[in-house]
Amino acid sequence: MKNTYIPFQMKVKKIYTESPDRTLKTFDLSYLNKEDKFDFLPGQFCEFSILGKGESPFGIASSPTEEDILKFTVNRTGSVTNEIHYLQEDDIVGIRGPLGNWYPVEKFKGQDVVIIGGGFAFTTLRSLLIYMLDNRDDYGKITVIYGARNPDLFIYKDEIKEWEKRDDLTLHLTIDNPVKGWDKLTGFVPTVTKEVSLDPTSWCVVCGPPIMIKYTLPVLTELGFPDEKIYTSLERRMKCGIGKCGRCNIGSKYVCIDGPVFSYEEIKKIPEAL
Amino acid sequence: MIKIKKSDFSTFITNLQKNYSVFAPVTDGKATAFKKIKSAEDINNKVLNTKRSPKEIFFPQSEVLFQYTEEGIKVPKREEKPFAIWGMRNCDTKSLLLLDKVFGEAHQMPKKDMYKDPYWKEKYDNCLVFNLACNKPLSTCFCNWFDGGPFNNTGSDIFVIENDENYIFEAVSDKGKKFLKEFKTAEQVSDKEIKKIEKLKETAESYLAEKEDISSLFSKTKEIWDETIWDEIAAKCINCGACAFVCPTCHCFDVSDEGKGKKGKRIRLWDSCMFAIFTKEASGHNPRSQSLQRVRQRVMHKYNYFMDNYDEHLCTGCGRCVVVCPVNLDIREVIKKIIRY
Ligand SMILES: Cc1cc2nc3c(=O)[nH]c(=O)nc-3n(C[C@H](O)[C@H](O)[C@H](O)COP(=O)(O)OP(=O)(O)OC[C@H]3O[C@@H](n4cnc5c(N)ncnc54)[C@H](O)[C@@H]3O)c2cc1C
Ligand code: SF4
Ligand code: SF4
Ligand code: FES
Repeated sequence: MKNTYIPFQMKVKKIYTESPDRTLKTFDLSYLNKEDKFDFLPGQFCEFSILGKGESPFGIASSPTEEDILKFTVNRTGSVTNEIHYLQEDDIVGIRGPLGNWYPVEKFKGQDVVIIGGGFAFTTLRSLLIYMLDNRDDYGKITVIYGARNPDLFIYKDEIKEWEKRDDLTLHLTIDNPVKGWDKLTGFVPTVTKEVSLDPTSWCVVCGPPIMIKYTLPVLTELGFPDEKIYTSLERRMKCGIGKCGRCNIGSKYVCIDGPVFSYEEIKKIPEAL
Repeated sequence: MIKIKKSDFSTFITNLQKNYSVFAPVTDGKATAFKKIKSAEDINNKVLNTKRSPKEIFFPQSEVLFQYTEEGIKVPKREEKPFAIWGMRNCDTKSLLLLDKVFGEAHQMPKKDMYKDPYWKEKYDNCLVFNLACNKPLSTCFCNWFDGGPFNNTGSDIFVIENDENYIFEAVSDKGKKFLKEFKTAEQVSDKEIKKIEKLKETAESYLAEKEDISSLFSKTKEIWDETIWDEIAAKCINCGACAFVCPTCHCFDVSDEGKGKKGKRIRLWDSCMFAIFTKEASGHNPRSQSLQRVRQRVMHKYNYFMDNYDEHLCTGCGRCVVVCPVNLDIREVIKKIIRY
């Protein structure tokens, strides 16, 4: 029987500091043992362990098409995330996964897709975006709306520059309030979503802080997106990640195994989801 | 059906111990709990409902998931003998079936094996459960609401009835059949004695309070999410979590690390949805910050969510939470209130 509570070891290959205030760092991990390598799809997450300090769930930010690494972007906010931020290259960490479900990439095939993200929650959206770009012919038009409080708080800034150059991708970047030198959009994600003329026959994936999700979903409905074509990823406090410890439920669903990805249709049936 | 004389009970237990680690109700000071016994003398066959539930045999209050050192991770070795549990009551044997749904499988998931809980499975899968009939149920017992009963045997391997002189054994599962077949020293039970069992059963059932028809409980709980009834129900609750700790079906746990330097262990500990911190996220956001939300969670989990996922209520009517609640919040009254709302 597989013991899903046991983490396997990975090595910190590269660390990127994403924001000048150093609250956001990205970690590329490489497998120590080939047998540990797992298949996954964009939207899934892992439990990241620092033995002796605990473990925390993080969405996988790398795409399955990026061989041999797993990428996580971690916001420093409490005891475990602090320890993760202290890591140095070549340190060993523990990983359990892949956990949870994924964005329905199969359903997206041949269709237009809109990705809407806020802040550092762009992690699994990066996975999804890279996955679709690496399989570009499988998908129709790809539109991305990405918002952050200020220009410093976008993650993957170097990659964003690359994405901006592509002509097979429409990218709308927005910040909450005007800042000198910012020549892109200004305004909250829900407002921008309303303004950039999206095609409501597309599939749509929304991920961000709870408040952003809460106000963006109704906008999509207003624009004519059907509930079953809108997907989002929810967050709850977690421990086991496999539906046992009972802490991440919303109604009869467990975010760790029935989610974290839910359609708006499903979410509407669960009173405490948003 | 076969029987052993009560005077032979001690020998029976000694023989059982040859192949099993035997757990049974034990009185320690004033409290009763299921513990691993040394000999038959340790066993308290009089207690009906132990204060602590026997879930802790398989799912202890704290359990080491693994130890780690510089060399790597090691899962503690379990003792080799399988477990035999003597003296469980029907409300508890049934709870094992419910917990096995949580720890043994996971609803809806494709790759099932990774969702099995090895710590539960390795103890539970090989165990032998003796379900002792309750000749005199307590005033807090309401197993009959959930189709259990003092003479029911769901979730057990061997059903045991105690009369004046004997313990009468009846096989329930294949495991139980196999055990009884190899049990050569037992005597057959006479027809006369079998008739008397009927009488014992009737007497036992007469002690139970009237059965409440809970067929509408599931649909009712679905309808009342936003209603003021929750204010009434939650008003008294002080969120102490005692109900969850004594409950044979509550399974929530916390995971935490204990260690220093490169050496330590990861353990899991019982936890409860009654505590505010249970769902509090690092950002400070807490989806169940209010007491009302947490009381609703416990009730909904037991009588609605678990039904949704497994078609069973996550409660066996053992009445432990009724006994232990410091503010006398009686779950039976809660159920009645909901049904009649
Ligand atoms: C599916 C999922 C994906 C996530 N992806 C990311 C990500 O890509 N990047 C990122 O920075 N954060 C992500 N989070 C949030 C992240 O897990 C928490 O910020 C982190 O657990 C906080 O841990 P801490 O020990 O530093 O905080 P503390 O407040 O000290 O928390 C102690 C423990 O509580 C639990 N916990 C606390 N808050 C959360 C929370 N919001 N979610 C889950 N468990 C929590 C963890 O077990 C944690 O170790 C994700 C959460 C979930 C559920
Ligand atoms: S609730 Fe039923 S099975 Fe449990 S002790 Fe009481 S009578 Fe026995
Ligand atoms: S909720 Fe109360 S009555 Fe029901 S199984 Fe748990 S402790 Fe027993
Ligand atoms: S994290 Fe334990 S049940 Fe979801």
